[in-house]
Amino acid sequence: MLEISHLYKKYLNSERFAVEDLNLTLKEGEIFGFLGKNGAGKSTTIKCLTGIYPFSSGSIKICGYDIAKDPINAKLNMGYVPDDHSVYEKMTGGEYVNYIADLYRVPKKDREERLYKFLEQFRLTKAVDLQIKSYSHGMKQKICIIGALIHNPKLWVLDEPMMGLDPQSMVEILKRMREHCEAGNTIFFSSHNLDLVAKICDRAAIINDGKLHCVIDLHVKGNKETLENTFLKITAGETVSSEK
Amino acid sequence: MKNIFTLLRLEFKNKFGDFSYKSGKSWAKLAGTLVFFVIILFIAYFGATTLFRMFDKAGMAYEALVLLFTILFVYLIISGTSGTIKVLYYKGDNEILMRFPVTGAQIFVSKTLFLIINQFLSTIVVTLPFIFSYANVVAVPPGYYNMVAIVIVFLVLIPFFLSNILAIPMMHLTNRIRNKFVILIIGMSVIMSLVFAVYMIVFDKIVTFLKDSSFSVFSEEVVAIIKEVVKNFIPTKYFADLLLRQNLFVSYFTLGALMVFFLAGMIAVIAKLYQKTLLKNIEVEGSAFRRKTRIRVRSLNGALLRKEFVQVFRSVNYGFQYFVMACSMPVMVYFCNKIATQIGQNDLGDQISLGLTLLVMLIFMTIITSFASTSVSREGRNFYQTKVLPVSIKRQMGIKFLMYMIVSFAANLICIGILVGTGQMDYFTGLWVLGIVQSAAITLTLFAMRFDINKPQFNLSGEGEVVSNSPNTTSAVALGFVIALLEGMIAMVLSYIATQQFVMIVCSVIAAIFLIISIISYYAGMEKAYNRIAR
Repeated sequence: MLEISHLYKKYLNSERFAVEDLNLTLKEGEIFGFLGKNGAGKSTTIKCLTGIYPFSSGSIKICGYDIAKDPINAKLNMGYVPDDHSVYEKMTGGEYVNYIADLYRVPKKDREERLYKFLEQFRLTKAVDLQIKSYSHGMKQKICIIGALIHNPKLWVLDEPMMGLDPQSMVEILKRMREHCEAGNTIFFSSHNLDLVAKICDRAAIINDGKLHCVIDLHVKGNKETLENTFLKITAGETVSSEK
Repeated sequence: MKNIFTLLRLEFKNKFGDFSYKSGKSWAKLAGTLVFFVIILFIAYFGATTLFRMFDKAGMAYEALVLLFTILFVYLIISGTSGTIKVLYYKGDNEILMRFPVTGAQIFVSKTLFLIINQFLSTIVVTLPFIFSYANVVAVPPGYYNMVAIVIVFLVLIPFFLSNILAIPMMHLTNRIRNKFVILIIGMSVIMSLVFAVYMIVFDKIVTFLKDSSFSVFSEEVVAIIKEVVKNFIPTKYFADLLLRQNLFVSYFTLGALMVFFLAGMIAVIAKLYQKTLLKNIEVEGSAFRRKTRIRVRSLNGALLRKEFVQVFRSVNYGFQYFVMACSMPVMVYFCNKIATQIGQNDLGDQISLGLTLLVMLIFMTIITSFASTSVSREGRNFYQTKVLPVSIKRQMGIKFLMYMIVSFAANLICIGILVGTGQMDYFTGLWVLGIVQSAAITLTLFAMRFDINKPQFNLSGEGEVVSNSPNTTSAVALGFVIALLEGMIAMVLSYIATQQFVMIVCSVIAAIFLIISIISYYAGMEKAYNRIAR
């Protein structure tokens, strides 16, 4: 579903690699947590795999499509929720989702069905005709998620999806993540919340100073319980650089 | 009291935060601004002197002074109201300030002081050239200059107090009409066109007067009407009366009474509504709208074009910068071309017309196409979305280009239609000018878009709109003026030594060269440059 091989990313005017020789393979139907302290390289990796940042070398394949060589097909198979809930705020919620659906070529019947289902699940039915600029933080995050799911992507990427959300919204998002995964799709998300990762992920990876340190199978007995210790052990040193 | 001055200092720091005593760049910028101001003041002084002479010739120097005070008074009410809304109600720092150990009253007083100081400075700067130029033209009574300070105090305080009363209703009204985009664009276009038309008519009169100042440009009938109307300009005629030391009792009484009346009104409004209005957070709530969204399937290009249009159309700033300018362009071109060709034909002969028309059209086209220099910057926080979408960058930028072309072609076509329709140009020449100007529009749009791809200026605060002038816009406008001058001047000079056909061929070749250069520079490494952009 997602194959990252020997990914290297260096920012302009930077001496060191923000991501260095990162290798990762995600299987169908799994929820994968991506852990690391601030500046470790989480967001840079996500921005490389979503096509936001060009990378120095290596390859990223989404459903077999190389993001650098065949970006359109790679992106058609992916849904992305950014950490800053950026959406076109002059549009209404409905207009925004419709716009995204147009760009992902979602047939009318499917988009109607999915939109109404998500609106109900996220309790946004009343707000869908309102301009997004009047939405709260949580509502913006939810409309972002609906936009990312409207084309039923095989790979769903979320960058710090729970940041600043109330518990109710968090529960709703977790439900959608599980549901999406049960349908055979894959979820890749970055987080600082170790408990959350231990609770819902099948596997988790820890990145530190741009290097992938380990991939942990959370179904193996004892791994969930020791996740926090492992994370703290790996990330104990001082942060060397800041992430862009 | 200490808190008030600290807050006031904070306001000034916010306004002039970029300035550093140790930075040579800051001083250079300050010096540049001062030079610019001095030039503007001199232009205002000479403009006003000519205007007073023109009116004086018709025995209406006093009326001219009243008219100027009226314009100033209206301007101060409008700028005062908008300043009050921005500083007292809309400014995002209210929420931050309220967390500090300062009272609401202290915040209010500091902000009000800031507004008054601003209003005083701008009034002095705007008023002085007129006051000096009036004394230069007309014999003024002794003590004329002593009255200036009193007049300025009244002129600042009355509109300021009135602005505070008007701010809250105006804010609600603005929020109500803020989302009536069509009405707003039409309304603003009409106002813009009217202001420009009046300005050009006055300018035309000034030019006529300058050419032959021995006779009055006003007919006796017009003089009678102006004198009659000005008599009823209350309270603005009392500013002129005070300055000229006539009707002193009535003037002092009326202006004093108005000041006290508006001050009382302002205190009542602030006491009753200030806090309530702040707490309502009208900035966000009032400006959002609800619209029933139908699910419609659009083509890729259709969806992108609609999104681009909506982003501009639903923004008062962008709508004004782009659509209002494009809608007003035909009126502006009509008047400018008429006056320029009239002057040119009288002084230099008929041949000048083609080059002048080209120059005028290209200058206005430059203003409109410069909007393309924010093509990427306008995405703001959503910029990364453009990279995540399964649509190529070339196509996304291509759709933006298409929107610019639709607008520029429509504006050009209407302009040419008006020029041909009013006999300022024949049909064939009109078609040729349309071709040249549209080709320049493509050239300038491509250059402007590329400037922004190379170095976008994102605004990540507030609603994320690009409101301040960016270096890309400056470059796009400068390039447009160079092309306009080059094509216009060549056409003007050549028209005296060659046939019109030859002039047209030369200009067409120049336009084609610019077009080819712009296409090459737009596409060269465009995607690579776009991918390099990081917000």
